[in-house]
Amino acid sequence: MAGLELQHIEKTFGRSRVLHDVSFEVGDGEFIVLLGPSGCGKSTLLRIIAGLEPQTRGSVFFGGQCVDDLSPPDRDVAMVFQHYALYPHLTVRENLAFGLKMRRDPKPMIEARIAETAALLEIHDLLDRKPRELSGGQQQRVAMGRAIVRKPKLFLFDEPLSNLDARLRASMRVELKKLHQRLGTTMVYVTHDQAEAMTLGHTIVVMNHGRIQQIGRPEQIYHEPANPFVAGFIGNPPMNLFEGSFSLDQRQLEFRVGDLTLRFPFQAHELIGADNGMATLGVRPEDVTFEPQGSGHVAITGTIDLIENLGHDSIMHMMVKGQSLMARTSSSLRQHAGESITIHVKNFHLFINERRIPLQSP
Amino acid sequence: MTNRPALISGILLAVLGSLCPFLWFALTSFKSQIQVEAIPPTWWPDGSLVFYASALVEHRLLHYVTNSLIVAGATTVVALVVATPAAYALARLRLPGKTWILGGLLCVAMFPPIVIAGPVWQILERLGGLNTHWGLILPYVSLTLPLAVWILTTFFHELPVELEEAARIDGCTTWQALYKIMLPLAAPGLFTAAILTFIYAWNEFFFALLILTDPERQTLPVGIALFQGEFIMPWGEIAAASVIATLPLIILVLLFQRGIINGLSAGAVKG
Repeated sequence: MAGLELQHIEKTFGRSRVLHDVSFEVGDGEFIVLLGPSGCGKSTLLRIIAGLEPQTRGSVFFGGQCVDDLSPPDRDVAMVFQHYALYPHLTVRENLAFGLKMRRDPKPMIEARIAETAALLEIHDLLDRKPRELSGGQQQRVAMGRAIVRKPKLFLFDEPLSNLDARLRASMRVELKKLHQRLGTTMVYVTHDQAEAMTLGHTIVVMNHGRIQQIGRPEQIYHEPANPFVAGFIGNPPMNLFEGSFSLDQRQLEFRVGDLTLRFPFQAHELIGADNGMATLGVRPEDVTFEPQGSGHVAITGTIDLIENLGHDSIMHMMVKGQSLMARTSSSLRQHAGESITIHVKNFHLFINERRIPLQSP
Repeated sequence: MTNRPALISGILLAVLGSLCPFLWFALTSFKSQIQVEAIPPTWWPDGSLVFYASALVEHRLLHYVTNSLIVAGATTVVALVVATPAAYALARLRLPGKTWILGGLLCVAMFPPIVIAGPVWQILERLGGLNTHWGLILPYVSLTLPLAVWILTTFFHELPVELEEAARIDGCTTWQALYKIMLPLAAPGLFTAAILTFIYAWNEFFFALLILTDPERQTLPVGIALFQGEFIMPWGEIAAASVIATLPLIILVLLFQRGIINGLSAGAVKG
């Protein structure tokens, strides 16, 4: 077991730079998730950690020791791939044994490790089958088994659940979390699925265009997104983001987008004296209510466009003076499309120059 | 799709058309000398094996078969041993000018062999390769390599990179990943490349005639062509020898039929 530290990792492929000065630290036994849209460089970063891809600049440390010059097996990491990458011509048993044989572990030890792993993942019935005879979920288990059986210092997961159907994915997610609790080994997990990131990670590293956007605990990332990208990427449905202009006096903040003007009883201390200018305003669909709740909220009236019923709750799409806005509502809402409605918003996110500006009540 | 009878008769016509010469000399090989020369020709042979006996004994056919086996076998082995790592590198590594290399190989494969005949002969003369088997294997390897490299590159390309990365994480060097993981998976491609190379070397006539003048070293096609004497054309023996020369190929192709079809259609449909 070991912690992981990345220092100023940069990666270029030809002329395009896919990673820009990426640094972070993972504590021993932590579960860290690299989250971002496809092409953000998260998989490349994982491959650099694994030693499959050399970085252009920067260093990787395991447990304080620089591993830049070590080959993948010498780094003692195990990786679970998106398409499982089980060796098709070998049985499950041979797949599990492959890495152990390669490092010349004694035979009885290999047998014992396979038995132990098969019991842990409940795959002993599958040991003599070939990968093509297994279902997607079973292949996934075997892929996990091939990583576990080696007892590595570090587990690397490259979107391991993205090829499973939604139900299986949810149950594997839970198993993975249990597995981590049981093994206590440091895990680095790459995904573009925010639900996976939120449920699995102790720490989430949000990436976009090869840069780290924010590092934080899941709730931190959700409640205090560092910039509009993180704000829009995390949350389902995504945060409503409006690009407009703001002005400020001692009492309130005024935000204008198109014909819509919002006045907030909020103050941003660090903005006092700043020039009025462009800003992005964010409203989480979950922060919209239909009843006024105490002071400090803003009432907005608009027209209902469409209601998506999700069973437990609904997503209401509404238009407010030419701006569209989504709100999460309870299913018992009796309003219909075309009707006028007033909503109340208590919590706002303000971003100026791509940076979060904390808002306080005056 | 709608005109089924037309489609079927078209297929039959094509098959018959390509089989016709083979059928004719197969029939001829079982005729007697009188039947061969009969006018009007007789269609159905009387089942005589005289020509086979004569081809095998008088014309020492098995001796040519042995030479052909040596040359075609060695060509296949050498071509594959060279083509495999080349194809693997072309499929996997970020090589500068990779498309140029592949395009160049294709161009070379399309060269009419006659263009290089002179230079090849001169080179072999200097090297002392005339009238030796290796002197023939060498140009055969260079002539079949482009096709073998192309077939294998397509195959390696189809295999997921993740498999190889998994192998590297499991502790394989590039070579180990190649022969422990990639080669077993590329077996259909290897078969295809091997059989096409073998068929080429087995059938090749022009270079064999040019390079091998010593009957002790000559291969089947040359041997059969030289059956003809100054005044006679032994059609029956030639037909019998041709049947014997064709049989191994037919057996090979039938045995590996499925693998070859898979190999030739690789890349057409994602598996």
